[in-house]
Amino acid sequence: MYGWTGRCLRVNLTKNDFQLEEISQELMNKFLGGRGLGVKILYDEIDPTVDSLSPDNKLIFVSGPLVGTGAVTGASCNVITKSALSGTIACAKLRGHFGAELKYSGLDMIIVEGKAEFPVILSIMDDKIVIQPALEYWGRTTSETENMFKNSLSDKWAACDTYLLSIGSAGEKLVPLANVINDGFLSVGAAGIGAVMGSKNLKAIAVKGNHSVTVADGNRFVQVVTTLINKLNSASLTSQSMSSWGSAFLVGLCNQKGILPFKNFQRSSFEESKQIGTEALSSAFALRSRGCFACPIACIKKTDVNNPIFKGKGMAPTYLAIGALGLNCGITDLTDIGMANMICAEMGLDPIASGGTIATAMEFSEKGLLSKDSIKLDLRFGHGKDLIHALTLIATKKGHAIRIGQGAKAISEEYGHPELFMGVKNIPLAPFDPRAIQGMGLHFATSNYGPHHLYAYTFIDEVLNVHEKLEPWTIEGKPELVKRFQDITAVMDSLGLCNWSLMGLKFNSFVPMINSCLGTSYKAEDLLQTGERIWNLERLFNMRAGFNRSHDILPERFYNEHIADGPAKGQISKANEMLDDYYGFRGWDNKGQPSAKILKALELEEIYGEDKN
Amino acid sequence: MARIKIDHTKCTGCRHCEIACSLNHVAGVANPRRARIRVFREGTTYFPTIAGPFVDAACTSKNDLIIGDQTYNMCLICRASCPEKPFFIEAETGIPLKCDFCGIPPSPSCVTWCNSGALELVED
Ligand code: SF4
Ligand code: SF4
Ligand code: SF4
Repeated sequence: MYGWTGRCLRVNLTKNDFQLEEISQELMNKFLGGRGLGVKILYDEIDPTVDSLSPDNKLIFVSGPLVGTGAVTGASCNVITKSALSGTIACAKLRGHFGAELKYSGLDMIIVEGKAEFPVILSIMDDKIVIQPALEYWGRTTSETENMFKNSLSDKWAACDTYLLSIGSAGEKLVPLANVINDGFLSVGAAGIGAVMGSKNLKAIAVKGNHSVTVADGNRFVQVVTTLINKLNSASLTSQSMSSWGSAFLVGLCNQKGILPFKNFQRSSFEESKQIGTEALSSAFALRSRGCFACPIACIKKTDVNNPIFKGKGMAPTYLAIGALGLNCGITDLTDIGMANMICAEMGLDPIASGGTIATAMEFSEKGLLSKDSIKLDLRFGHGKDLIHALTLIATKKGHAIRIGQGAKAISEEYGHPELFMGVKNIPLAPFDPRAIQGMGLHFATSNYGPHHLYAYTFIDEVLNVHEKLEPWTIEGKPELVKRFQDITAVMDSLGLCNWSLMGLKFNSFVPMINSCLGTSYKAEDLLQTGERIWNLERLFNMRAGFNRSHDILPERFYNEHIADGPAKGQISKANEMLDDYYGFRGWDNKGQPSAKILKALELEEIYGEDKN
Repeated sequence: MARIKIDHTKCTGCRHCEIACSLNHVAGVANPRRARIRVFREGTTYFPTIAGPFVDAACTSKNDLIIGDQTYNMCLICRASCPEKPFFIEAETGIPLKCDFCGIPPSPSCVTWCNSGALELVED
């Protein structure tokens, strides 16, 4: 067995015990590992209608087979559970080094069940597995948690090789907007997962190990990886733009195309974009590059924000943070945005979900639909201090922020204007205006994980034109494009590769690396079919949890209000028009239900039988 | 003579060098604990350190390293493995590891995979 370790740790927190299990080769062939394997286990082991925060929900941490092998960008570990925010399946992508260290500790996967009686840390250090009480950690920020744990180790050199994943106070207090954090990195798409971890009283997981990960054809693998590093180096997006500024370089570009949302998607252009462009970013923060494990791109930017509380600890804001926490809340001050981003990382909030929630509340107050008295908070577009204050209150569940902390959907309903919620499946939209980028709009509507761009980054072709030259405003070819990207992403997540690498490499160029690593002889189509299998299984989970066609729809604003000004003036979303075509390409009926035929083709027919009941 | 120049200000902490070293010494085995280069993190800085000789006794005095306004423990960049700093020792066999300047000339494996420019081959 190459790449995989073949071992899984099953922890039952209610019974306070654990056991090691073997993972069957058949499962690995069919679902690859990582996200695919996690989705399969969750599908098989929990009832999709379970309350997300009940002990019956499970949390699965799983690294893909390429993680830790040295495969380029092979760093990602997935966390799969039923989301506390959306009620759909959720899959976070962890960055940094946690995923690789999990492999070196001899495990592909950790399944966490039940609920601990009091706060605990799961520690897996050199094959010694301990569920240790963690009362003194409860209430600590994520960086304090990491440092405290490392300082508690008697051997300071062991601390160098120890990696943690933890939740902040938001997760502890079961705020549905909570995220999970490792090595100071906010994970991708983790809204609704932090609270599940909190509901299990699991503060953190620590890993360290001495095991090797083996590669089938070592010599060939080394050659292929070297070639891919060189290719990434000759592509300008991965060698320059991403390396210099991280995803924040997209701010200027999205603004030019009218994709950048402003003030809760009321506008999608913004005159003063110089204030938040790459130059401003470099001067506001001293940028230093950090890479995830085995990543030659190193898109993560560290910064020193001149703030006495978080000094020197933070990540510079990414496109996501600038869009979701900044512009969509009308805020253009980069220091405020950086500070808000750090609060998210320290207190464990998801930036898209929290930014979107606050932007919604801000629109309510702007329209006079929410008085300061009823919410006891100032929430005004453009006021960084309001944002920072609200985030801190949400994360600690203080005062009236308890209501806001329930999420954008909940407040928009509570205050009587559900149409002001800019999201899908209870999750706020990532900061891309779907009217100005149609493919991504369709993905936002149909995504199994809510409207997050990193589950199908069609932007790469629609705007950056890396593999194909498409126009963002047209709908020709978009349903296929969305399906292809959704499937590719499912494969890459399952193997443990980072999506950003698609900015410099075609999916096909990964195939030799995958095969020499795993000792397989996959063709690109085989892998894409696996991706499709995973996507369909996730869909079936969501359908059994009560989601259907009526949830594959963008907010009314995007169909009814044309973009008012800027480069994309007059555009409107055509996601509804494309939906039937998209279902057609997927082999689903017009209710969005996968047909017996496609499930058979994907070897999921046994599941179809269950589903009929 | 060729040397590897280390510029820690460029290092991104990606640890690709560790895996390059591991894969090149035992074909098909990826394990940072078997690498002859390790990247140590202290605060916000990464220090790539290439294994030198094994010594069986630790230094009797400690040195501090000052970079800018930060003080670091000198052991971080010390190339020796010693009882104080049990790195560069193969876990299973206990055999000390030392950089043998591997790889296909003109580029050692760790340098080939280091994409940030932190590791560079220089000739005098
Ligand atoms: S591109 Fe960025 S997010 Fe992806 S693996 Fe590299 S450093 Fe991590
Ligand atoms: S030169 Fe070779 S042996 Fe020495 S650290 Fe680099 S990869 Fe390892
Ligand atoms: S490969 Fe280069 S950038 Fe990455 S950790 Fe090693 S020395 Fe640093």
